[in-house]
Amino acid sequence: MKRKLVSALLVSTMAVTAFVGCGSKAEETSESTATANSGDASEGASSEDAIANLIAATEGTVNIDLWCSETEQYQTVMKKLCDDFAAQYPDVDFNITLGAVSEADMKDRVLEDVEAAADVFVFPDDQLEALVKAGALNEVAAQYTYDMNETDTPATVEAAQYDGKQYGYPFTASNGYFLYYDKNQLSEEDVASWEALTAKAEELGKEVGCETANGWYLYGFFQGAGCTLTENEDQSNNCDWNNETGLAAAESLQSIASSKAYKSYGNDDLLANLNDGKVVAYVSGTWNVNAFSEAYGDGYAATKLPTFKVNGEDKQMASYSGYKFVGVNAYAENTGWSMLLAEYLTNATSQEAVYEATGEGPSNTEALAKASSPALDALAAQSEFAQLQRVGGNYWSPAESLGKNILDGKVSQKVLDDAVAGITQPVE
Amino acid sequence: MKNLLNKLGSSLKAFGHSVVSGDIWVKLSLIIMGAGYFGRKQIMRGILMTLLEVGVISSIVGVFMPYMSKLNTLGTVQREEIFDIVTMKKTVNDYDNSLLILLYGIIGILVILAFIALYIANVNAVYRIQKMAEEGEHINSFKDDIASFKNERFHITLLTLPSLGVILINVIPILFMVCIAFTNYDENHQPPTYLFTWVGIKNFVNLFTTSQTITFGYAFVRVLAWTLIWAVLATATTFLGGILLAQFINHEDTHLKGMWRTLFVITIGIPQFVTLLLISKMFGDNGIVNTMCANVGILDFFKHIGLLSPGDACIPFLSRPGWVHVSIILVNIWIGIPYQMLVATGILMNIPSDQIESAKIDGANKFQIFWKITMPYVMFITGPSLIQSVIANINNFNVIYLLTNNYATGNMYMANSHAKECDLLITWLFTLTNEYSNFKMASVIGIVTFVICAALSLLTFSRMIGGDKEGVYR
Repeated sequence: MKRKLVSALLVSTMAVTAFVGCGSKAEETSESTATANSGDASEGASSEDAIANLIAATEGTVNIDLWCSETEQYQTVMKKLCDDFAAQYPDVDFNITLGAVSEADMKDRVLEDVEAAADVFVFPDDQLEALVKAGALNEVAAQYTYDMNETDTPATVEAAQYDGKQYGYPFTASNGYFLYYDKNQLSEEDVASWEALTAKAEELGKEVGCETANGWYLYGFFQGAGCTLTENEDQSNNCDWNNETGLAAAESLQSIASSKAYKSYGNDDLLANLNDGKVVAYVSGTWNVNAFSEAYGDGYAATKLPTFKVNGEDKQMASYSGYKFVGVNAYAENTGWSMLLAEYLTNATSQEAVYEATGEGPSNTEALAKASSPALDALAAQSEFAQLQRVGGNYWSPAESLGKNILDGKVSQKVLDDAVAGITQPVE
Repeated sequence: MKNLLNKLGSSLKAFGHSVVSGDIWVKLSLIIMGAGYFGRKQIMRGILMTLLEVGVISSIVGVFMPYMSKLNTLGTVQREEIFDIVTMKKTVNDYDNSLLILLYGIIGILVILAFIALYIANVNAVYRIQKMAEEGEHINSFKDDIASFKNERFHITLLTLPSLGVILINVIPILFMVCIAFTNYDENHQPPTYLFTWVGIKNFVNLFTTSQTITFGYAFVRVLAWTLIWAVLATATTFLGGILLAQFINHEDTHLKGMWRTLFVITIGIPQFVTLLLISKMFGDNGIVNTMCANVGILDFFKHIGLLSPGDACIPFLSRPGWVHVSIILVNIWIGIPYQMLVATGILMNIPSDQIESAKIDGANKFQIFWKITMPYVMFITGPSLIQSVIANINNFNVIYLLTNNYATGNMYMANSHAKECDLLITWLFTLTNEYSNFKMASVIGIVTFVICAALSLLTFSRMIGGDKEGVYR
């Protein structure tokens, strides 16, 4: 009997701990609701009044966590911007903590525990949907220091919308991909088409390519050929890559990829072979701008993606345009201040500072006008063939597998049919 | 199981008997659990018991009831927020969190079950004390009770912490995972913002279904087969390799035994993470090993003997089914043997030398001695730990994940279920949760893995330890 008593005691201890844990949480929420209600709202107040109200209603230290890329350039410029932001409001005591989270992992890290994640974070546009679906993003219901519809390019503003609601603050507009090449070895005619590019590279004994076994890049070939891939409201996909055009595109890509010079490197392999001087042209983005400019020296150049032949016709390879947004956590401790910080980080001067520090192209038109580099010009040239990435999660694994089949020279109607079946599989 | 039911029945019977034939104190303790002890002057025990009763009941009512009452639906009120653009403050409704409902619901049920057991046991105990009092036996004071935890009830003192740990980190998570498998918790139903709910056995049906779009059945069979093959091969190869290596090093003609042992142990010193990531880079399609093979002519040799087709640009160590499987096992041999060698060294040193000597006198050669005396002895000692390492290998996440991180499958059916040919159940589960937030299918796979591991260990352990084999070596 004693043993039972002890075990029961233990259970109830656990119950008490659970009670404590829950109790504090309940208090927290009730407190925040209370402050939310206590704010004295005056009808038709301007945004300055709103900020003034917020300052008046703020007591104690405002804690804001900010997660952004782990690179040194990013960390330094963001630290400076946060300090500037805090200096703008001398009456408020800020404690802004900077966290280093790789942008590619941002979604995973935030969704691990939304309630514990950073209040403000920088994320690429392809994660927008997953974040919205998990309810992690705060809607941008109003803007206080600038209006993104006036200051930023319409495409970037639209990219940060989902279901007609604005969820992100446009931050950079250079996250798409294009072609880097060495103009000392390749002429402009050589980089105009994949056929010419692979032929020339074979002649030179060098390498060119694109990470084909990756849905993000593979999309460019099929979309360019005239196929479609769209997303339904329930996050399933529509895809017609198994039609005649799709088959022709896949076969064309397969014959391009069969060239000895064509490589499908992941980023690490790409950088290794680039430094060895083997790669003379490769599809990549601004995140590799330093690597390419160092490797090519005065031959460094960038341009829009090459064309490729489908059914004897030259088709321009398409691409995904890529953006980065600043998002506010829906569970942020200080929603108001977090929104103001997100606004500050994405205004014209901040975007300019970020461009200077990292080389990433601004989404703000004013800042964009001052920014110019081969990479950004190439992106601009590619932009008319670039689409906003809206695709359901079931796309990636089948697309990767399809890319692998193309590289292995195993394209067939059946492979395409199976890939499309996987891409379009219903979402429960 | 039967034992447990019998015990339950007898304690219920005793409970009935206690209630019927107990005196006023026993009957009072049906309401106030400490009453029976107060009646026998066990004040402290009475207070503790009553406090416990109050604590448990109030925590059930105050904490667990709100969650448990929603267990049938896992919550109905979705989170809604209103942002006031003037005050810049956010108002959030009182929303349900399916995850917390499930978690606290499970804990609540466990607490109630434990409380019922305690309640019944308490009444029985009080009745027992009544009997003791009637017969004039000594009734423990609180001091005696405390002292007994150091003496005859010392096992309880010792087992408290471990059993708490088992409940907290084993029982509750397992129950929780089992429950998730019957819900639609996936990327479209993620708490705290969205709700998930019960869907019955639909996920299990999906796991064993194969159609062009739902390929979980197809992928599951293949992943399971490879998991089992891997577990057995990985264990067997490292085990045999470890014993042989230890035997070679222990051989009387081997010089510098210490140095050899140290050399192999150094590989243990380097974290597996580092080694495995390095190996996966080195053996990648464009890695250093491939470059060397191409330069030396091994690539051409493989093409010549038909292992590779003429069009292949590299040796697909880690990028083609078959190749990847062999590579994984070879790499595992390399990183696994040193551990087994250490284990085997210890055992080999303890083999009774009289047996070996008498075998030598009888004219047995070295191979015979190894096969007839050393191996059976080692098998006997390490049998249980071998089973253990098969189970560990079923769940050997590190080796597979780190080596095949960049593997892209060419099999559409596998890809459609987000699986790869080289996936173990555990790495598939990881991909599903980590990249696709498909917690429901991951739970189903987790349960299946658990059942396999549990069945395997129960079966083999009962066979291995059950028999009286110890006498053989005495």
